[in-house]
Amino acid sequence: MGVAMRRFIALAAVLAVVSAVDAAAQARGAGPAPGGAAPAPGRGRAAGPGYPKFFDSNMPFEARDLAGIWTPNGNGFGGGGRCRDCGDRGFSFEFPVFTPAGQAAFDRNTPSYGRLKDSADAQAHPEEHIGRRRAQSPALGNDTYGTCNPMGMPRAILYPDPVEFIVLPDRILQHFEWGYGLRTTWMDGRKLPSPLDVDIPRWWGYAVGRWEGNTLVVESTGYDERTWVDHFGYPHSGEMVLRERYTRTNYDTIELTMTVTDPKYYAKPWTSETKRMHLLPRTFIQSSGWSGLLEDLCAPANELEFNRLIRDPAGTGKPAETGGRR
Amino acid sequence: MIRSFMTWCALATILTVVGASGVSAHHGTLVAYDREKQWTAKATVTEFRYLNPHAQIYFDVTDDKGTVTHWSGELLPNPAQLIATGWTRRRSMDALKAGTVITVTVAPPRAGGNVGLVMRILNDKGEELLGGQPGPPAAPPAAGRQ
Repeated sequence: MGVAMRRFIALAAVLAVVSAVDAAAQARGAGPAPGGAAPAPGRGRAAGPGYPKFFDSNMPFEARDLAGIWTPNGNGFGGGGRCRDCGDRGFSFEFPVFTPAGQAAFDRNTPSYGRLKDSADAQAHPEEHIGRRRAQSPALGNDTYGTCNPMGMPRAILYPDPVEFIVLPDRILQHFEWGYGLRTTWMDGRKLPSPLDVDIPRWWGYAVGRWEGNTLVVESTGYDERTWVDHFGYPHSGEMVLRERYTRTNYDTIELTMTVTDPKYYAKPWTSETKRMHLLPRTFIQSSGWSGLLEDLCAPANELEFNRLIRDPAGTGKPAETGGRR
Repeated sequence: MIRSFMTWCALATILTVVGASGVSAHHGTLVAYDREKQWTAKATVTEFRYLNPHAQIYFDVTDDKGTVTHWSGELLPNPAQLIATGWTRRRSMDALKAGTVITVTVAPPRAGGNVGLVMRILNDKGEELLGGQPGPPAAPPAAGRQ
């Protein structure tokens, strides 16, 4: 047996045992998952398995040290699985009150996440806001992320793939594995520009951070209006100010709550549910024998071809090209 | 003994990890296809692509009358997830070379046509390739499906 295979099997064994234990806990109706409360019953879709548990949460930690690879992913790698205790892909289950302009913007967006529009599945969940019950095939939607545009914030932090926090003396970088996106939060005391004074909106916005006790508070604005608050097409205007509060609650858990303040689109500030992400060993994610985030890039060259060959014909029923490369 | 236990663990992990992904795949994959209408058939691989945003497989299905239908398929896992489950690029490409005979289970598109979500692939030894996907049991093969 080769080294790579032995390494894979060892890793798989760890994950399998963790998953089995977690699944058993779920089946028993055990209480909160490690690191926080279980998701509210009957809300949203089933979450993935518990997070990959590599550390003793009770080990001593430096509360202001956020450096490392964190994941809200049920398996630690990319691919979309969500931790059982990490919350879902949506910003919040408490749905917002739109202004007329916000309602119009919401209506213009056609997401491809959530329950299929007008389906029996969608009709079976009237308790959910329509934002989660209006999904259409990507070919019929207008999600700019479908053509590899950056997700922006807060959507990127809601996506269930790993994110590396890189801490520098004057800034904190969040490096998102999916899309290989890089977001900068300046910690050097600069002031956040007024949304009305932003010269050029950014896909990743303008962000400044400060510590309030052991909570990192990030305020940001100046986002490109074509990004969405989350995968379900909730809009934001150029006037949005996003506040994020990151608290390391134990050795391997960060809790995050966010508030969107956008008087142009939302009648009052909209606060997220608490999201959780968990620490991964630096050597956990590997490919080609190297550790570290994958270059899980959404490259237009791949994405546009995929859309042409697969997504668009699947969503429209138009004949697909008969395979093979161009 | 230990080796067989570890192998079991590896297989269990593949199913667990890939199964977890099934509820929250990438962009719109679960919306475009009808997983309640899955079918299974013998097929011959014409091409396999190990690429983002999803691995793709192209294959021919021959019905009882000898009519060949070409299909394009996407898999829920992206390469990152395949790597996580041990399906490295080399292993995957070796397993799905052009001309390989497979048994494939497909969820067809809601809009019609010959592009599907590939739920399961077995090789001619009955071994599962790329980890498989969760879903309801596959219906028996049906001739002339479109």
